[in-house]
Amino acid sequence: MTHLPYIVAAYGMTIGLAVILGTGAALRLRRARARLAAIERPSRAERAGGVSAP
Amino acid sequence: MNATPSLAARTGTFFHRYANPGRFLRLGARLQPWLTWPAIVLSVAGIVWGLFLSPADWQQGDSVRIMYVHVPAAWLASSGYMGLAVCSLLSLVWRHPLADLAAVEIGPVGASVTAICLATGSLWGKPMWGTWWVWDARLTSVLVLFFLYLGHIALIRAFDEPQRGYRAAAILGLAGAVDLPIIKFSVQWWNTLHQPDSITLTAAPTMSTDMLWPLLVCTIGFTFGFAAILVARLRAAVMESRVRTALAMRRGRTEAPGDAQDSGPDLSGAVA
Amino acid sequence: MTRKSRRLWLVGGCLIGLGTATALTLSAFSSNIVFFMAPSQVHAHPPSADRTIRLGGMVVAGSVRQQKHGDTPTNQFDVTDGQDAVTVHYEGILPDLFREGQSVVAIGSVQADGSFRASEVLAKHDETYMPKEVAEALRRSGKWDPRYGKPPDAASWNSMTKTATSQDKAAPQHGS
Repeated sequence: MTHLPYIVAAYGMTIGLAVILGTGAALRLRRARARLAAIERPSRAERAGGVSAP
Repeated sequence: MNATPSLAARTGTFFHRYANPGRFLRLGARLQPWLTWPAIVLSVAGIVWGLFLSPADWQQGDSVRIMYVHVPAAWLASSGYMGLAVCSLLSLVWRHPLADLAAVEIGPVGASVTAICLATGSLWGKPMWGTWWVWDARLTSVLVLFFLYLGHIALIRAFDEPQRGYRAAAILGLAGAVDLPIIKFSVQWWNTLHQPDSITLTAAPTMSTDMLWPLLVCTIGFTFGFAAILVARLRAAVMESRVRTALAMRRGRTEAPGDAQDSGPDLSGAVA
Repeated sequence: MTRKSRRLWLVGGCLIGLGTATALTLSAFSSNIVFFMAPSQVHAHPPSADRTIRLGGMVVAGSVRQQKHGDTPTNQFDVTDGQDAVTVHYEGILPDLFREGQSVVAIGSVQADGSFRASEVLAKHDETYMPKEVAEALRRSGKWDPRYGKPPDAASWNSMTKTATSQDKAAPQHGS
């Protein structure tokens, strides 16, 4: 391949960023879901009637 | 209520019905795999196709393969900002809480793809044009787009009271949208070092189909990826906001119910 | 009028105002936004010798002269926009894409004798992308010479290269 260093740098940069953004979002979503579940569980009973959104 | 609701009222009802945070969480959870898996499959296929199976250009040689990441990044940089501008409009006119959260999440992702667009363009320009950077209209207007993203990221987080940040950032987001047509038409309105678009709505593509197909696959794959990352981040943001609301309620620090709409995004949904 | 309607009209009005202001500014500064001057513009309004300008155009076929003085090659070629041509002198290595018929942008200044002394030469490629084999076949068909202009529409490549292959069979020794 001609211009190999430039091609490798461009693809490396793009794939690297996609992986960082993707795993970052996945980890953040997992943590948020776990925290929300932990917080909603103890008080679920008192809110049993008000689950539907206004 | 008016007998005949105005355009603003009708549009607002439409968006509120389909973007209620609780509904969004359910919709997002269902949508997520349909965005994530096509994104991975199509992006990998497009990259392999572009890197190894597509032909080299007759004069650019293999460096033309940078196109398969540069063009999708450029497309996403502009469309991402278009999304940001729509969120800004929803925020300014309809005070839409989910639009504010979406604007917060689009900023960093959009800035990242704009950075990729600029960097890969530079890596393509050096071997082909003979320079990393020139101040022509296309390159400069995309750099301005990058700074608009950075300004939005900073502004929306700059205030202690989130609502003021949302308002200010929405004004910047909407005003910055004038850069989008400038980017698009810069290569037609002025002479530039950057070549005109190969793919337009009005004319046949000036590109071999052997190169057009991997480019389309890459673009669709990257777009799915962008959407998947955004939906995941937005779901996380809604959940985090609910956690905050629940914690605040538990500590008994919430304001009177009447102030809730003005003091923060009403994302409590099922919790409230 | 509800508050929402008022806000919608307000935002719309601001956007139209901002758009108009931007459009007026851009059209007023249009001559400064263009990246390069064409040879005919340079001839019509010759800039002073101390001003650095960017000259853009196509390298005239057959006008390229290259000499080697030690390590740095000196190049001389004509750049045209179809109406006028300017001779460019440049000391240094030309970009990979430089060839006759290619669009280039030369950065430098106009000398007293009307020639152009460049400190940097950039290649400007067009929006056409095609595989080597297609370019070869088009050239063999005799319908396109890269030294004299842009390649034909991508939609016509198939029919053009088909005639090229049939001609090829007739004269197999022709291609290089």
